[in-house]
Amino acid sequence: MVYPGHLKKLVEALTRFPGIGQKSAQRIAFYLLGCSREDVVAIARAMVDAKDKLGFCQTCGSLAETDLCIYCSDSKRDNNLLCVVQEPRDVLVLERTGQYSGLYHVLHGALSPLDGIGPEELKLDRLVSRIRESEIREVIIATNPNVEGDATAGYLARLLNPLSVRVTRIAFGLPVGGDIEYADDLTLSRALDGRRVI
Amino acid sequence: MEQRMFKADGIVLRTRILGEADRLVTLLTLEEGKFEAVARGARKIKSKLAAGVDLFNYGHFTFHRGKTWPIITGQDTIKSFSCFREDPDLYPYGIYMAELSDRLISGEQPCAEICRLLLEGWKLLGEKNTDRFLLCRSFELKLAHISGYSPHLHSCTNCGSEKALAFSPRQGGLMCSCCQAADAIKMDPGTAAVARRLIKAPLSQSSLVRLSDSQKKELACVTAAFLTYHLDLGEIKSRRLLAE
Repeated sequence: MVYPGHLKKLVEALTRFPGIGQKSAQRIAFYLLGCSREDVVAIARAMVDAKDKLGFCQTCGSLAETDLCIYCSDSKRDNNLLCVVQEPRDVLVLERTGQYSGLYHVLHGALSPLDGIGPEELKLDRLVSRIRESEIREVIIATNPNVEGDATAGYLARLLNPLSVRVTRIAFGLPVGGDIEYADDLTLSRALDGRRVI
Repeated sequence: MEQRMFKADGIVLRTRILGEADRLVTLLTLEEGKFEAVARGARKIKSKLAAGVDLFNYGHFTFHRGKTWPIITGQDTIKSFSCFREDPDLYPYGIYMAELSDRLISGEQPCAEICRLLLEGWKLLGEKNTDRFLLCRSFELKLAHISGYSPHLHSCTNCGSEKALAFSPRQGGLMCSCCQAADAIKMDPGTAAVARRLIKAPLSQSSLVRLSDSQKKELACVTAAFLTYHLDLGEIKSRRLLAE
């Protein structure tokens, strides 16, 4: 399709977003053209600021604007609990539940030899020394429930068990609102294994 | 005319994230060889395909021919090798076998023999009394044999002498002291006999073989060098985790 030069540049830039194709990019581009200059500048500024001012927490590896993230610097959080997750966005998902008030540790990946990610790339020594030097009593491993996530959980459990902390894995089971009829065998068998008294 | 829908029994060798919630799955199928297919929405927690398109799964798949990749429309698990999820020691071995098979097969050529070898290898890895080292060496040698690159392990590759004490990856077999090539690796006759047995005997009998530590080292060196040279596999990434 023939666009005026700057519109073409904008559409091409927007197609770089995940899940945004040519049509959606064109729609967003026309939306932006319809906005006031101040609004467009505010959107652009928000993107640049987020890129420039956000980094990773020195302690836990989650997103932070200073050396320490809002979770590590919050004295009201439970210092005895540590939740290990794969990605910084997993922290936000867990926070959304409102059920967890402990600390976090972000691995920035999971063991995946085919992608060249081994224990060294996950900087597990940092996690071990953090647990040694703190009051943490329980480590909850909340890596993804796939092969890489499970293998990472197993590896971590073996690494952390000698440190005399309680190592737990988040539960597996059926998603809320689904029908058992459509559940796959592995999920169902794990749900049966993890059943509890009511 | 090519049918839009097709079915195949296959093994999941590798998965990659595609877009926001899809997975690009590398499948090794009995009927259609190796190819990539898309599992739409497989990263979503309520996806029906999520568990079936994860690594170490063998199942019946149904596909719809898409523009770029076939799209997985259904999956029934025949066997899920969950031992690799549960045991962090086993995981590198399972991945290693999958990576070797993946790298060896280049395209959509039927490879039922390799499929069956991989399934048996994974099954044996999950059993209690398996010698994982010997099973992996046997798997490597059998894989080379199936691909038509069996090493010459009876006599000197060059002159036929039976007093061969080294192995040349470039020559593809044993070498005697007179013919020894520059790349030759020490390999005593006992190790060569074990290697011959590992090629011929079923995978399940690999654990019955007895080897000293030095012979194990020799065998590992020989098989790794042979595979690298003849099968053009390049760097096998999972070897690093296996070594750790």
